[in-house]
Amino acid sequence: MMQAPPPPPPPAVVAAPAPDRSQATVGDLRVAAALTDAQVHVDSGFRGASIVLYGAVFNPTPEPADVVVVVRGPEAPIRLVRKSRNMGVWLNSRPVVFEGAPGFYMTASTRPLSDIADFGQLRRLGVGVDHLRIDAPAETRTVTRYGVRDVVVSRLGEDYLDWRRAVIRLKEAAQLYDTDAQGVQFVDRGLFRAEVRLPAVAPTGKYYAEVWLFQDGEPRSVSNLTMTVEKVGFERDIYEFAHRRPWLYGLLCVVLAALTGYGASRVFSRRS
Amino acid sequence: MDIYLPIAEVSVNWPTLVILGAVVGFVSGLFGIGGGFLMAPILVFLGIPPTVAVASQASHVVASSTSGVIRYSGQGAVDFRMGAVMAGGGAVGALLGVELFRYLRLLGQADLMVALSYLLFLGAIGALMLYESLSEILRRLRGEPAPRKERRRPMWLYGLPLRMRFPKSGLYISALPPFGLGVFAGVLSAIMGVGGGFILVPAMLYVLRMRAGAVVGTSLFQIIITTAITTILQAGRNQTVDIVLSTILLLGGVIGAQIGARFAGRFRAEELRAALGLIVLLVGIQMGLELFVRPSDIFMIAPGVGE
Repeated sequence: MMQAPPPPPPPAVVAAPAPDRSQATVGDLRVAAALTDAQVHVDSGFRGASIVLYGAVFNPTPEPADVVVVVRGPEAPIRLVRKSRNMGVWLNSRPVVFEGAPGFYMTASTRPLSDIADFGQLRRLGVGVDHLRIDAPAETRTVTRYGVRDVVVSRLGEDYLDWRRAVIRLKEAAQLYDTDAQGVQFVDRGLFRAEVRLPAVAPTGKYYAEVWLFQDGEPRSVSNLTMTVEKVGFERDIYEFAHRRPWLYGLLCVVLAALTGYGASRVFSRRS
Repeated sequence: MDIYLPIAEVSVNWPTLVILGAVVGFVSGLFGIGGGFLMAPILVFLGIPPTVAVASQASHVVASSTSGVIRYSGQGAVDFRMGAVMAGGGAVGALLGVELFRYLRLLGQADLMVALSYLLFLGAIGALMLYESLSEILRRLRGEPAPRKERRRPMWLYGLPLRMRFPKSGLYISALPPFGLGVFAGVLSAIMGVGGGFILVPAMLYVLRMRAGAVVGTSLFQIIITTAITTILQAGRNQTVDIVLSTILLLGGVIGAQIGARFAGRFRAEELRAALGLIVLLVGIQMGLELFVRPSDIFMIAPGVGE
């Protein structure tokens, strides 16, 4: 490959005697980012999607900076059960509800998160699967839903970490949670890209992306983006129909089935 | 070739589903059953959430049973009166079953219940069918005469009130036992997503002692009504019926059912029963196995219930 000449610096910087404001902007350490698709359409051909997040780092200082991309899907409570062996048979425990767990969560970064910032910083910002604020309700309370005593939380006690790890492990297995320590790649000086891979089971709704710029373990700048995943066309019509008029929908399913059966027997009896 | 299912919220390979529908349809046409007990486990294996699989394939059972009933009623082999009494019970059972299923899902015990029901009912019925038909085949091979059939009905059938005449079945008995049978089948249809034919047919033959010719047609008639109600209830209460999934299954299913019915005439009845018994037994064992095998992960996400 030919040795490409270094890209010419932006004109705003070259034309130095520009207004003060421009100078100030350039002087800041900051990050800017955008998504290739702010809307993901789920139709009958949907098999997951891959969206590219790209952005630029303006770094006038000599210190290197790290970029961390965090994408959060809509919240979806998780009901987790643990199997245990009773008299040779594997039985489920009562389910424990984890509130506030995002239905989709990924981080992509230039280096492993633990190298970029310390534990406390990451915990405070909620960056990384280990720092997700997914909690079984903290105090001992039993939730009653539809007459079922759902959870007795205090029983979790010291097992709590096991349960929490299980949530993340299971979500990772479903490709809904992901940590990619090399996910942010610099394609050119200051210009980076990261891929957001949504599996087909990704929940629909609003997604929030945060792009953090870290330097010396401190967050220096952040850029917030949103993205929506929604069902469109035929898929949406069916989904809405099934949820808005569930009884009519059920009736239609049955009539359709009965007619198909009737039609098939007519067609076949005529042939024989 | 993949298609996204709007209610199941997963994408699957649709030709696979058509073939699955056709194979199950073939089995159901061949043996005169709904075939639900085969369909649900395979759908789950393909990655469709169990609750959606159970609810959606009920409408596949409706379709294959409808074409079955039309065929049998042409031969005068459907006792609509008996079928209606049983279907009344089936409606009650389906109501109970859907509520029970909902409750179990909230407790996180739905899959345990499904596995247990499969193991118990399919295991027992399959083993019985296999034993009975194999001994019959052995007798024929040895050239022994068939033992005289027990014609006496259990006496308690006559001690109950509400007696009704069922001319086509050759019965004059209380309406309560068939009604109760219907309730039982209805509960099963909601929990296991099956029509319940594999239980109804032996019960109608050996407990009620119905005329054999009317048994299959009548049970199919009862199954249509019960599963139709189950489908509507599942859609209405749980929103778990995926019309795209069931339509794809139907396409293969109705064709498979007709071909299966053609083939049925080529085999002896006891050979068919032996084969069916074997399939039923295997499915029961396969489903029940998960109760005894150490799971790969002791934690599991219970199917969520929307608030």
